Amino acid sequence: MPLTITIPTALRQYAGGNSEIEVEAKTAGEALEQLTTRHAELRKHLYNDQNRLRNFVTVYVNDEDIRYLNGPDTPIKDGDTVMIVPAIAGGATTAENVAAPHASTAEFPQLSHEEIARYSRHLIMPEVGMEGQRKLKAARVLMIGTGGLGAPLGMYLAAAGVGTLGLVDFDVVDESNLQRQIVHGTKDVGRLKIESARDRLSDINPLINIETHNTRLTSENALELFREYDIVADGTDNFPTRYLVNDACVLTGKPNVYGSIFRFEGQASVFWANADGGRGACYRCLYPEPPPPGLVPSCAEGGVLGVLPGIVGAIQANEAIKLILGDGEPLINRLLLFDAWKMRFRELKLRRDPACPICGENATIKELIDYEEFCGLKPQPTAEQLAQASGQEQMPEITATELKERLEHGADIQIIDVREPHEYEIARIPQTKLIPLGQVVGRIAEIDPERETVVHCKGGGRSAKAIEDLKRAGFTGRLINLKGGITAWSTEVDPSVPKY
Amino acid sequence: MIKIDEEQLTEIKRHAEVEYPHECCGLLIGRIEDNGRTRIVSATYPVKNSWEASPQHDRMLIAPIDYARAERESSKKGLGVVGDYHSHPDHPAVPSQFDLEHSPWPTMSYIVVSVREGQAAELRSWEIAEDHSKFNEEEIVKGS
Repeated sequence: MPLTITIPTALRQYAGGNSEIEVEAKTAGEALEQLTTRHAELRKHLYNDQNRLRNFVTVYVNDEDIRYLNGPDTPIKDGDTVMIVPAIAGGATTAENVAAPHASTAEFPQLSHEEIARYSRHLIMPEVGMEGQRKLKAARVLMIGTGGLGAPLGMYLAAAGVGTLGLVDFDVVDESNLQRQIVHGTKDVGRLKIESARDRLSDINPLINIETHNTRLTSENALELFREYDIVADGTDNFPTRYLVNDACVLTGKPNVYGSIFRFEGQASVFWANADGGRGACYRCLYPEPPPPGLVPSCAEGGVLGVLPGIVGAIQANEAIKLILGDGEPLINRLLLFDAWKMRFRELKLRRDPACPICGENATIKELIDYEEFCGLKPQPTAEQLAQASGQEQMPEITATELKERLEHGADIQIIDVREPHEYEIARIPQTKLIPLGQVVGRIAEIDPERETVVHCKGGGRSAKAIEDLKRAGFTGRLINLKGGITAWSTEVDPSVPKY
Repeated sequence: MIKIDEEQLTEIKRHAEVEYPHECCGLLIGRIEDNGRTRIVSATYPVKNSWEASPQHDRMLIAPIDYARAERESSKKGLGVVGDYHSHPDHPAVPSQFDLEHSPWPTMSYIVVSVREGQAAELRSWEIAEDHSKFNEEEIVKGS
């Protein structure tokens, strides 16, 4: 088919000064092929070294962009016009959403043959390629926590070739961690988590650096630590640290790759106040205030599906990698909600809060604060101290050993277990009656006030609450709290009762 | 080399100030002479910044459809698109790596104007090396 190709002014000198060139072709691709065969000089200005159209070159057939038709295979009809036009993009400085502070590609470290072999599945994707892999190698990611979220996060970042991983944790591997914290193994129980994680991550990828920080993250050390890294990934399980990570990220200008989990539900986002020309929301824009202490239980209290942190932590790894590559669509100003029970993802839009106390227009927080206090977790006076202060009788307590002895001597004691039925399924003290905390006042009649009563739960907290509730409801009998709950019973009296 | 009138330079600066703190962008209409080495600008052609997401503060995109329209309209007068301009709010009038990767051809001029706190500051013009490897600053010859 005869057709006309319109040459933009800027390219005419490579096309013999012509503004229009007639060719015969059946498709748009064929037309360009003919054009560049006839005017060879045009070729390098339209195609890159890999013989693909340069990213800014757009081809229109009549008034349609061929990318939205059939690309180079777009058919040509008699008399059609093909037009070559560029899309021109630009931008100030290097302020892309690229986290690594390197101005130009030349500064990224080269890859060894060993690395090229290892990362081949990345390298063959143009979205990563050599340049992206070198950016990954140059990147420094700080992981707060090496637990449920930190496990997949660290393993995937290590495998992906993130050059330097910083690990912050102060905890020790416990048996109850292994159900979800897959970076640690059974042989690691009792070891420092950062050491166990370091060994596993170096086994996955010995070509990366791992920097361990055996410390609790605090307002004193956070800023100094964060400044050393490009990206901070929050894998913490408590509110004070979450606010601390957020505030320290805002103050140091680092992106905070956030994940959180509870029972069957997870959240993920990228909080980065500096993103999008200073329009990124931070964690405080989403949650200005922490929930009241005790309202949201931790995983230790509320439980968590073991797979859940695997999914959420892997999402965090994915987001961190995109931030390093400076491409794709990161979770900036988007909160991803995941329900593993229903298997549903939802997404909420986030906005920078102009009144945010740390990233807003008139920010009042200029330095890190006391986050325990902010979250209402300053050690409160205990019930005992309060009782003593007000001249009341102290709550009577009994240790597991004492209880065992008294039972053996035939004491007439009724034991009330105020845990939940599913906990009772896991472990129980013999000869006890189960009345969950929430029902204890309603079922007060089932407790004989004439007999001595020992109340117990898992650790002693809920049983103390039950005793207070019962007294307030007018229970007159003698109530004694089992110190340390069934956990202490297992330790001191009967190891055959499993701990959970 | 770029030949451009004071009037057009003023238009570019004004456009940059109006769009501040966002980036402005536009095309330069005129003729290319001297084997692609000289641009003679006779008009500016302001274009809507088509960068889709929010970071207009430090991004600009001239959509191909706008480029095509400018080329078509000016061809009636025997002119064409010979370059583009854009602003760098609170950054120097130096093209970035991103500019380099997204600017088309060595025959064109690339004007960058820096805007500091809402006021247009330095204005410089650049051309891309024949092998697309870097920008070279070019001389601005002012007309009447």
